This record gives sequence, C-alpha cells and structure tokens, in this order.
Amino acid sequence: MSHKPTITDNLTFPADSKLPQILFGVGAVGIILSVIGYFVNHDQFFFSYLVSFTFFTGIALASVFMVMFHHITKSKWGTLVRRIPETFGANIWIWAIFIIPVILGMHNLYHWSHEEAVATDKILKAKSAFLNPTFFIIRQVIYFALWGFVGRKLYKASVELEKTGDWGVTTLMRKVSAPAIPLFALSIAFAGFDWLMSLDPHWFSTMFGVYFFAISFQSFWAVMILMVFFLHQKGLLTNTIGQPHIYDLGAWLFAFTIFYAYIAFSQFLLIYYANLPEETLWFYDRLEGGFQYIAYGLLIFRFAFPFLVLLNRERKHQKKVLMLVATVVLVIHYLEIYWIVMPAMHSEDAHGLDFSWIDITTFLGLGGIFFGLFFNTFKKNSMIPENDPKLEECLEKTYHQ
Amino acid sequence: MSTTEQNSELYGILAEFKNPKALIDASKKVVAAGYDKFDTYAPFPIHGIDKAMSLPKSKLGWIVLTCGLIGFTGAVSMMYWMSVMDYPHNISGKPFFNAPAWVPVTFELTVLLSAFGAVFGMLFLNGLPKLYNPLFNVERFKKATDDGFFVCIEAKDSKFQADLVKELFEEAGATHIEEVYD
Repeated sequence: MSHKPTITDNLTFPADSKLPQILFGVGAVGIILSVIGYFVNHDQFFFSYLVSFTFFTGIALASVFMVMFHHITKSKWGTLVRRIPETFGANIWIWAIFIIPVILGMHNLYHWSHEEAVATDKILKAKSAFLNPTFFIIRQVIYFALWGFVGRKLYKASVELEKTGDWGVTTLMRKVSAPAIPLFALSIAFAGFDWLMSLDPHWFSTMFGVYFFAISFQSFWAVMILMVFFLHQKGLLTNTIGQPHIYDLGAWLFAFTIFYAYIAFSQFLLIYYANLPEETLWFYDRLEGGFQYIAYGLLIFRFAFPFLVLLNRERKHQKKVLMLVATVVLVIHYLEIYWIVMPAMHSEDAHGLDFSWIDITTFLGLGGIFFGLFFNTFKKNSMIPENDPKLEECLEKTYHQ
Repeated sequence: MSTTEQNSELYGILAEFKNPKALIDASKKVVAAGYDKFDTYAPFPIHGIDKAMSLPKSKLGWIVLTCGLIGFTGAVSMMYWMSVMDYPHNISGKPFFNAPAWVPVTFELTVLLSAFGAVFGMLFLNGLPKLYNPLFNVERFKKATDDGFFVCIEAKDSKFQADLVKELFEEAGATHIEEVYD
C-alpha cells in the first residue's frame, strides 16, 4: 500500500555530546552533598536515599519488562523506541552498587533488623525467617544478578542483531524473555516487599508487589514520552519517531494510569472496609501530619488529571499535553514513594511531612548517575534497533482521524 | 429475490476491483469526483480504506462518553438515595456517604453503560441489524465474502448519473460493472 519507508535522520546520538559527563558531574556533586548529609543526619540520609533509589530502580525494571513483553508478543508498535528501555536495562548490573547504601543503612531503615526488637516482638519473631539481615542481603544479590543479567543480555542481543543483521537473534530474545517475565514479576514484587513494605514490618498487603510494579510502570511511560520529546528537542529522530509512535506511548500512559488507580485503590479499599487495626495503621500514618495532602494529591494528579486529559484520542499525541501529563506523573511518582517511605522514619526531629535538603541531593545524585549511565550507553550504538525484522512495519505505521 | 429489473428502481452501480490496492485507489477517485453516498466491500478489513474514503471521525466516542456519564451519575445518585436518604444504616461506624465503598459500584455501572453505549451505538451507527440489502440481488456480490472487492455508488447521491458513474469506474480500472436494482 505504501512504499518502503526510508530513514532520513541521523541514527546515532552525537558522539561528542558532553551530556553523560554533565550528568555524571551532577550525580557526583549530588552524591558528595548527600554524603555530607549522612554526617548531618544518618536517618534522614538513608530514608531520602531509599526514596530516590526506588524511584530510579523502578524505572529501570519497568523498562526491562517492556522490552520482554515486546519480544514475546512479537510486537511491532514499539520497535522504533525499544532501544531506550533496552539501554536502561543494560546498566542495571552497574546500578547494582547503589543497593549497598540500603544494605549499610539497614539498621536505620528497617526496624526488623534490630535483633533486640525482634526478640520481644511476637509478630516480628514469626516473620524473622524472612525478615532477617542475612536473607535480606541474599535476596538483594539474587534480584540484581537476575535483573542485571537479563537487562544486559537483551541489550547485547539487540546490538548483535543491529550489527550482524541476523534475524535468528530474535529467537534468542524470546527465549530469554519467556522465562524471565515470571521471574521478574516475582522479584519485583519481593523487592517491593523488601524495600518499601518492610519499613513497617508489622503491616502487610498481599497487593504491595503489584502496587510497586504499577507505580513504576506508569512512570516508566512518562519517562519514555519525555525521552522521545527530549530527542526531538535536540533535533534527533524528528522524522523517524512520528505521530503514530508518540500516540502509542500516550495510549500506554493512559492505560497504565487506569491500571495504577485500580491497583492502588483496591489495596486501599480492602483495608478501609475491613477496618482491622493491624492493617489500617499504615494508612492512618499516611493520612495525618501533612501526608494526607500527598494522599489526596495521588487521587487527583496521579489518576484523575491524567485520565481526564488523555481520555480524548487527540490529546494522546499532542506534545504539550503529553509533556505536561508526563511531568506531573513523575513528580507525583516521587511524592508517592516519599509518602510510602517517610512516615516510617521515627527519628526525633521528624513529625509528619518534613522535606529535607537531603531529599534533593540524593535525588540529583542518583538521577545524575542513572541518566549519565543511560546516555553513556545510548550514544555507543544506534538509537533505534536497526535491522530488526519488525522495524519497517513500525516505521510504516500511520495515524488517522 | 425474484424482482425483475423492469418494475424495480435503480439502487446504485456496483463495480468490482481486482485487489485491495485497486479498491483504495478507486475509492480515492470516487471521493475526488465528489460522491459521498457510496460504500466499499471487501472480504477482510483493509488498512487505510477509511482514509481513502475520507470517512469522518466516528461519533461513537461521544455516545460512549454520554452513556458512561449517565452510569456514573446514576450509580452515585442511586447509592445516595438508598444509603443516605431512604434507608440510612450505620455500618461499622462508617459515614452514610461512604465514598470509598461506593467506588466499585460506580466504576462498574460506568463501565457497563459505556460498554452498552459502545456496542449498541456501533450497531446503531452502522444501521445494524439489517436483514435486507439490494446488493444481495447481485449474484456476483457473493464474492464480497470471498475474493471480491467492490465499490457501490448509490443512486441517492446528488451527483448520481448512471453513465458518468460507469465511466468513472471504467477509468478507475473496474473489472466488472453492474447496475443494482431494488
């Protein structure tokens, strides 16, 4: 029906770009300031660090998830933009070093890591087979070994396909993805339990794993949208990634806005309705002391606003609208993790909502490194998976009405 | 289908084309010639045919939105009437206007009515169910479910003139042209 699409854009990120260095610089400054923050206030440092660490790791994990289901469903809608999540996944094995502060700060972060506290607490004693420092560290090693390996493997395979043009590599991609999807589902859920849920070790929610996935996945699409527009802003891929591809990203953001609302509200509703003290306490802590503003903010800015704005089809590909929604979603995503983590901080000077400068420095530190690693890898190869068998069909996509 | 051509009225002119590509090109020509009461028939969905026919954006979305809003307000007002006005009942100390507990019902009714709006609205906009169509009088038209690609310009069209339409189809490369009677 239409002739063979030709790519007119330059497909590599400018090799002389100083962006990775700038980002690494920001990251280094942020980390140095955070280290100073550590000496000022141990607890605040570790809790702020955990918020930022979860924020960025969640995005990397969601990226690998997207790459895997794209492979396994033999999709073609996202072939053009697949190199972005692949690159996020490629660096998880390096990113793994940033779990070390969480492990070092275990005693500051996690009440269950104190043996004397567990000894006098019946509930924590019963949970100690799972919630104990040794097993916690073992689990972190398993998670990052799995995530790092799969993320790297899928990136390498994609690069190999680009260099050799051997379509047989797609079989390898599916063979890696198929078993890795359930493993990722479990490991992401348990990472959610470990990092966030066990901050309040008496509390439990069987939905928490899905909840952690849902918040990460929604914000991942926001990152994708901003990343594509960032590339366009730099004059890259402007004629390659077009309206139909951006529309798809908008539709994904819309879909996972609803998914997020469904999961987050389901978790809340069951606890609210049953009204059992051991369960409601978690929400009680998060609906007072200023945290209630974030809670209501979640309802408005994480669900109602993106939902109503993106409901209309035309809105899903408009640059300004998408940039605004994606930015709002990312800000509220940070606040949501903050809202989950911070009420657990029982230091003397923390009563209720109390932002600290260390929140900002850890965020800049980890964010600088995270995106520095991304662009450092991103500029090494083509920005789109060239020679992919589905690439042509993806380029041919048209948007109408 | 025993109507004879003499005592029946001309419904339109049907033309067959070789393949989907020819069908798309033909519909573009029909649009360019200024006809708007015409339709295309193919055994399978063809990407881009709606664009080639320059069909307007479907109104279905508005029907679905209206139905969804009716479901939403209907659910909220129903529960408000029942739990707050007609039969207020203290359930484990929760307020009568128990917003979180009302969400599932509100959600379900919104989705249910939206789905009804989508399905029945689609049927309505397509004029379905339709038990009879004059095109069934054409023996060849049975190919539309197998390997035939057809365009039919209806006689209702304000620009319709049988010989001009035939000429247009011939120019567009039709393999077969036939008059359809009702």
